[in-house]
Amino acid sequence: MIKTCLILLIALLASCELPSRNTTDSFTYRATQATTALITNEEYVMVTTAVTMPMYVNHDQATFRRWGKERNVRVSILGPADWDVPAQINTIEEVIGTRPSGLLINGTDPAIGPVIDKAVAAGIPTVVYDSDIPNSRRDAFLGTDWYEIGRMQGEEMARLLGGKGKVAYMGILGLTNMETGFRGLLDVLKKYPGIEIVGKFDDKANVEEAARITADLLSAHPDLAGLCGFDSNSGPGMALAVKEARRAGTVKITTVDWEPEHLQLVRESVIQMLAGQKRELFTWYGAQFLYDRVHQTNRLSASDAQAGITNIPTSVNTGLLRITKVNVNEFINRPTQ
Amino acid sequence: MGAAIAFPQTFPTFGNWSQLLLNLSIDTIVAVGMMILLIAGVFDLSVGSVVAFAGGLAAYGMIQLGWPVAVAIGMALLAAGLIGAANGYLIAYQGVNPMIQTLAMMGIVRGGALLVSGSGVQNLPYWFTAISQSRLLGVQMPVWYMLLTVSVFAFLTHRTVFFRRYYYIGGNERAADLSGIRVKQMKLWGFVLTSLLAGIAGLLLASRLGTALPTAGRGLELRVITAVILGGASLSGGHGKVMGALLGAVFMGLVSNVMVLARVSGYWQEIILGLILITAVWTDMALQKRLR
Repeated sequence: MIKTCLILLIALLASCELPSRNTTDSFTYRATQATTALITNEEYVMVTTAVTMPMYVNHDQATFRRWGKERNVRVSILGPADWDVPAQINTIEEVIGTRPSGLLINGTDPAIGPVIDKAVAAGIPTVVYDSDIPNSRRDAFLGTDWYEIGRMQGEEMARLLGGKGKVAYMGILGLTNMETGFRGLLDVLKKYPGIEIVGKFDDKANVEEAARITADLLSAHPDLAGLCGFDSNSGPGMALAVKEARRAGTVKITTVDWEPEHLQLVRESVIQMLAGQKRELFTWYGAQFLYDRVHQTNRLSASDAQAGITNIPTSVNTGLLRITKVNVNEFINRPTQ
Repeated sequence: MGAAIAFPQTFPTFGNWSQLLLNLSIDTIVAVGMMILLIAGVFDLSVGSVVAFAGGLAAYGMIQLGWPVAVAIGMALLAAGLIGAANGYLIAYQGVNPMIQTLAMMGIVRGGALLVSGSGVQNLPYWFTAISQSRLLGVQMPVWYMLLTVSVFAFLTHRTVFFRRYYYIGGNERAADLSGIRVKQMKLWGFVLTSLLAGIAGLLLASRLGTALPTAGRGLELRVITAVILGGASLSGGHGKVMGALLGAVFMGLVSNVMVLARVSGYWQEIILGLILITAVWTDMALQKRLR
């Protein structure tokens, strides 16, 4: 009995397969072989996290659907309702098994790198948008440099304050892209000895939390001069508290995103600058890159796989929008698509 | 059956099922501990934060402090056990309400996870990642750890006097106390065990992802409680089986999997899971009434 158990155990252990230490397998070659085949009944899948977030719904998902309609292909949008990166990874894993024509993945965290590699290895053209996952084998990345978002806010805040005053900033702590943005902000502000950083806060992407933090800050630092926000709800929350404290305009606010409420607050001079992402561009062209990859729209060689190249740009920075009171009406009055 | 007919190319495949089981393995390991607590009539809302903290602490130890893999794992489990002990002591011995205590602990431990892992700790050592990324018989290791955990605790709760006591405590705490069961001590151990299992789940998740995420485990407590209730536990205590935790998690995993295959958006997934939970609880209440 013991002997049988031992033999079974040894057999089991022998069948145990350790992960590869070297991750530079011939993924690209296999991927390209699979995608050069004629694809019928095409389906492109967007996988994000926090799929219900208004900013994603209004910009990314609306554009992706519009693109699908224009190209006459099926598009699907999947992912967890909340900000849950492991759940996004699980969704990508499950989608890989269904072999879509292309995957458009929101680069929420470097942790999704291995599953992107898995999609590429399975022969699925994969484009990352919003934030890059540079440790992955994604076919292309389109999006924004979050360090630049931080820098843009830092430069504007320093200009607004004339290089002196107390500044606080907030966002979702622990997210790689936001921490990168914080770094960009601090790298600019540290050049101004007259600017004092009074705190870094986690508003948990919640308007009420951002307003509460701001109200507390205004009590603790009556001479607070500036606030910088890094998630979609930071701006409206900070603006609410500043308005309630009757300090609108005296406490300068810069933040991200350009939803209608953000734009209205700029028009009212409560927020002085928005660092906006061109979300429509990275979603539209990301999907188009997938389409061009699948259809081999531009042939650059007899065999891209053999040449070790791809027929789409590998990295595109879609840049930032600087929205102030001067140009805010152009964004408020943009035509619906 | 319906899913197999609707998606014959994708649903009934080895790849899809091994992926489905892998996706629910972390939640199930935590659900085993939660099932034991719910049998005893209490619950723990801090498990999601413990998942993030355990992975983050181990990663911080290995990368920033140079701890060997085994030491980092040991320290993370020790920390998880201490969190459980703090919860258990304050609830069982000081009479703090379990919801208030574990809700407060959820915030404290999430803050700790943010402190140790910042924006996430990457490039974890090979042997740490091998714990979850290795495969046995073509199936990734967390699935085996999940099956092992469920089997061991199913056996313990079925066959040992120690774990049977949780049913007596959940059924009638006062009677259990009068019959000589050390209710407070048992509750304390229940919280320690649940927290330890959450710590193990956190280490497995960090190992699987190759990254320790401070945001890991957000909302996990509610998913786990849902799975456990779907698996036959009652919020009033005294009922439930460890195998039920697995079945509840598999059911939720199946629903989620089918919705991905059917390309149902995340909006509907939440609504459907909520409706399923209400239906399950309502059916359970109706059956209980009829039995009485």
